[in-house]
Amino acid sequence: MTAILSVADVSKAFSGVHAVQGTSFEVEAGSITGLIGPNGSGKSTTIDCISGFQTLDAGRVLLGERDITGQRPAEIAKAGMIRTFQNVRVYDSYSLLDNLLVAGEAFRDLNWFDALARTPRYRRVRDAAEDRARGLIDLVGLTRLSDAPATVLSYGQKKLLAFAAAMMAKPRLIVLDEPVAGVNPTRVNEVADILRKANATGISFLIVEHNVEFINSLCHKVIVLEQGRKLTEGTPAQIRNDPRVLEAYLGIARPAAAEAEAS
Amino acid sequence: MTEPRWTPYAVLVAIALLAALPSMTSSNYVVGIAISGLIFLAAAASLNLVYGYAGQLSFAQLGFWGVGGYCAAIAVVDLGQSFWFGIAFAGVVNLLLSAVIGIVITRTTRHAFVVVTLTFALLAGLIARDWVGVTRGPLGIPGLPPPSLMGFVFDTSARFYYIALAFSLIALAFLYVLKTSRIGLILKAVKQNDPLVESQGIAPGPYKLAAFVIASVITGMAGGIYAFNLKVIDPSFLDFYYMQTFLIIVIIGGAGSFWAVVLAGAAMVVLPEALRFSNELRMVIYGVVLVAVMMFMPRGVSGWLEDRRIAALRKALR
Ligand SMILES: Nc1ncnc2c1ncn2[C@@H]1O[C@H](COP(=O)(O)OP(=O)(O)OP(=O)(O)O)[C@@H](O)[C@H]1O
Ligand SMILES: [Mg+2]
Repeated sequence: MTAILSVADVSKAFSGVHAVQGTSFEVEAGSITGLIGPNGSGKSTTIDCISGFQTLDAGRVLLGERDITGQRPAEIAKAGMIRTFQNVRVYDSYSLLDNLLVAGEAFRDLNWFDALARTPRYRRVRDAAEDRARGLIDLVGLTRLSDAPATVLSYGQKKLLAFAAAMMAKPRLIVLDEPVAGVNPTRVNEVADILRKANATGISFLIVEHNVEFINSLCHKVIVLEQGRKLTEGTPAQIRNDPRVLEAYLGIARPAAAEAEAS
Repeated sequence: MTEPRWTPYAVLVAIALLAALPSMTSSNYVVGIAISGLIFLAAAASLNLVYGYAGQLSFAQLGFWGVGGYCAAIAVVDLGQSFWFGIAFAGVVNLLLSAVIGIVITRTTRHAFVVVTLTFALLAGLIARDWVGVTRGPLGIPGLPPPSLMGFVFDTSARFYYIALAFSLIALAFLYVLKTSRIGLILKAVKQNDPLVESQGIAPGPYKLAAFVIASVITGMAGGIYAFNLKVIDPSFLDFYYMQTFLIIVIIGGAGSFWAVVLAGAAMVVLPEALRFSNELRMVIYGVVLVAVMMFMPRGVSGWLEDRRIAALRKALR
């Protein structure tokens, strides 16, 4: 198997706090890979490092064959990796439709002349992007709200919108930081289904999530972090039965629902 | 926010009324106010692009306004060029100047941006006063001649009015196209959530820079036209009064809303004049109105309307 993402010996410290310490792992092309670990184990920092939102102290990151170490977030996104944020980010005053239009890759890559002169090409791209956006809004079950400003959404609904926005860009790899935190439990299985379908079309996923069922039902491989280091990796079944993983989580596990409430 | 369906008709009526204004009144005073109003509106709408759309509070607009005014005056008086050349010259100088300043400061934080642009505005005022060889210092450059085009001389207020009207309409139309395009959509996205924009593969830098440069060119040309309206330019052209006027229009209307800022521009020109019935109280009432609006509508009229709309929507969704 070839790797779509290779993370090699990545380290990151914040004024003495070693958030990530020499972590290495791979996401295989076409796979759904989980990244789990107790609170503060460095999952989000890892995502920030591979997506260009933090500079690395050490290590290398490859997206497919391409070395993306130290590149700007926008370059990395254009290269085919889109990430979402744990503290969900959307454009609050924009409608859901406009949120997705901004996220779309065809619309984004139009040149300025086409955009200003409203050429036929511009209108064609815009219409296609709008159709695609409406399809994705339907897919995550927010059709009723598609023209409402995103600020009226609940936290969980914003997570769904952010997920749709990530899909909108047609990336090769999507990195999700707690995609179902705060999402209505009846909806979580739907999200898992959508993810599986997207995966079947060739998109790879790296998912950080505290919802164990969600991770177990989806992932081909799970990587476990503890205090910035990779503790172990394996299939969900292997991870479930690994005493070290249980130990890492003991007493510090925090249910995802409580976290959503807090934010 | 989507605009009402009758917007194009309202715009046509407004343009027709504005075009007919000089024939509806013989008062040079009224026409004079309309000229200032139109020019201020173009400058305020540019500030709205930088502040309301790109989210950068730029005091540099005052500097660009002054540079534009002096460039146009110097081109005509010292270089013997036409008024039209002078305005184009003002635009080009501001283009270069703002590109240089913009490349440096659109990368800085919002706070640094405010400080640097403010410093630039103050520096421009200092140069106007002290670089006597070019600006003629405190005396300024008097006797700016009326513009002429193919033998037609714009030597009355009513004639000059059409220059201001044409400029303002072109500038606003351009800004409107920009705002409703993908570029406007991305600019306002940058203001709302910079990291999200980056995570979606869009480097915000070029957009911020473009907004800054476009606004400076329009403001500079507006300054050039305004100087010829005054027929004289001196350091008082860089008085903070102008910056304050542009800012008030943007803030009262609601930063980031095109039509609200246009309407606020009209209101802010008419209001002080409408209050002239009582000359002593005039500025007091004006001040009270401003403070009241800011207290009850801190995000301007459009922000207030949007909040109401969202509140209604939230209620409907419960
Ligand atoms: N910007 C920052 N400045 C200082 N310390 C930070 C910063 N970001 C993260 N940290 C620290 O780095 C460590 C790892 O944090 P990180 O957010 O990566 O954990 P996480 O695994 O995502 O946790 P959670 O499950 O709570 O989201 C924590 O100790 C955190 O306090
Ligand atoms: Mg985290």
